Amino acid sequence: MGSHAKAWLVEDESAREMLDRVLTERPFLLLPPLHRVPLRVGNVVELAGPSSSSKTHILIQAAITCILPKLWKGVSYGGLGHSAMFIDLDCRFDVLRFSELLNHRIMEAANGSSSKVGCHQKDSEAQFARMKPYNEELFALCMKRFLYIRCYDSSEFLATLKTLHYRLQKEREVHGVNVHLLLIDSIGAFHWVDRGSSSFPLEYDNRKSWHLQNVSEAAVQEIRRLLLVHPMLVMATKAVVLGNKYSTNELTWNYRKWSAVDNPYSRNITSDQQLPYREYMPAAWQSFVTHRILVRATDDDLVNGEHQNNSIYLLEWLLPPLNSLDKFTVRDTGVFILS
Amino acid sequence: MARLANLETEYPVLDSTVRNFCASHGIFSAAFAEQNDSSERLKEGIAQVLSIIDDMHQPWLNGMELLEDAKRNKHVFPTGIQGIDLLLGDGIRVGQLTELVGPSSSGKTQVCLRTASNVARNHMVLYLDTGNSFSPQCIAYFLGKTISPSSAQAKNQFLQKVMSNISCHSVFDIFAMFDVLHQLESYLRCQDGRGCCQMRLLIVDSISSLISPVLGSSSTLGRALMTSAGYLLKKLAHQHNLAVLIINHTVGGEGGSSKPALGDSWKCIPHSRLFLSCDRGSNTYNVSILRHPSMASVKAARFVI
Repeated sequence: MGSHAKAWLVEDESAREMLDRVLTERPFLLLPPLHRVPLRVGNVVELAGPSSSSKTHILIQAAITCILPKLWKGVSYGGLGHSAMFIDLDCRFDVLRFSELLNHRIMEAANGSSSKVGCHQKDSEAQFARMKPYNEELFALCMKRFLYIRCYDSSEFLATLKTLHYRLQKEREVHGVNVHLLLIDSIGAFHWVDRGSSSFPLEYDNRKSWHLQNVSEAAVQEIRRLLLVHPMLVMATKAVVLGNKYSTNELTWNYRKWSAVDNPYSRNITSDQQLPYREYMPAAWQSFVTHRILVRATDDDLVNGEHQNNSIYLLEWLLPPLNSLDKFTVRDTGVFILS
Repeated sequence: MARLANLETEYPVLDSTVRNFCASHGIFSAAFAEQNDSSERLKEGIAQVLSIIDDMHQPWLNGMELLEDAKRNKHVFPTGIQGIDLLLGDGIRVGQLTELVGPSSSGKTQVCLRTASNVARNHMVLYLDTGNSFSPQCIAYFLGKTISPSSAQAKNQFLQKVMSNISCHSVFDIFAMFDVLHQLESYLRCQDGRGCCQMRLLIVDSISSLISPVLGSSSTLGRALMTSAGYLLKKLAHQHNLAVLIINHTVGGEGGSSKPALGDSWKCIPHSRLFLSCDRGSNTYNVSILRHPSMASVKAARFVI
């Protein structure tokens, strides 16, 4: 008995060792353009923005970073080497575009390493031809780590979430790879349909009716339970309609920022002010979200050669509130930060 | 989600022991089963319930399977109009919703008829007409322009064959459209994989005249109907490999410019949106991209029909 009690008191590891272990098993993610705040597993990030503001693209970017390996056959790809799951509620995912972006990232990393060695033009072409089968093998490996599902209504979404635990267990057994990222495209996709169907009561009294709130609570509960057993980073997009005072002119943006900085008291007020868009998700989801971002497209274009005209997007962190605006543009190789 | 008692007839493993166990844990319907048991029979029962729930959603696919399906099934159909094909990257894509927006008389129906005549050479086309704008003469004219000169009889035969590939239905309200689409879904489910001539194009001309009457300013049912219609079209497009072309009108926006009708909730439904307009007093039409799945390099073009 005494030895058992003493065994309780022996330490397992020091704080430093624990920090080392946690940081290697659960690393911080710094994904452009979300590089200002490091993200960890267990965080729930909400990307809000009007239609066509590159929200899905940011998700795809995160997925590609997740599925690429860190180091493969001597080339460093800077990825995480884990699986990513994509729940498509918007049903607009374009897999050809996804594979293009993945290929570009792989080639960029491969070319980057070859140019570091400083070889001649002919050598680099020969090396490229040699790397082609490796690239295809890596491409297939990465694509197999990307899991995708479409849901056409809320009941399919809930069914997916409820069976996700077993799916993840199976993935772990079959591939030996953990899922690190859960991406949901357009969490508010079925908002109107669920609101409309709440007026139709179901037959039995002891069952919950199909309300917007109930669906949302059930979804949040399932994801919470899932995060306990499979720690993941959750990223969801949300389509919003921005109010009129949010003009696309950048001057008014800057003016708002400067006037807040000038007066330290008014800065507190503006950080508590209401969100620039009307929040329509139920309270269950709102309290579940740990990080909130707003992206918008500006009217400016970045001229990049004669044929390429890439739009410039603005990104603002709402939670945690940072008084900064990031400008970025989207290219084939990924997101490119402008300022 | 069905009650467990009702499922017993289909799945005999869900007998009273399993149901009692589930009831003791507060599980009354298939949705709330949990893995928390010790006996074999219970394990089987739980596994059965899980597989029932698994059937309620679409299957999980990995990236390679998705890519294979896209390469094998999701082809691109050229519309036959150079300017539009250039903008869309070779044409309209199977599995996606392409929306044509424009004020009246901006060539939207013409583009649809042209596309229908192109696709109908080898595949079947369904044209849902809300405003009696379908014109067989136009289709015959477009076909006549492109086929090589041969005997009148051969021309006639060719015309007959292509015209029989196009079926036109008149729908005048949204519920009739839902009816037709559900019938189409059951028809395609039987037809998939069989037969040489498959349906590949669905045209809705125009969806705004079906949805606008139910879309009040603050009504939720109207928007729910609109979203359900959008998702039904997306489901048909993806599962049965159809290209869907929908026509939308414009309404007045801020500052006198025109914007697409059906509001902001509709913006998230189509994959690609093209804005058409007509030059006054000439035959040329302008088309520009409002939305495209990939970053298109060309943003605007002109064409003549």
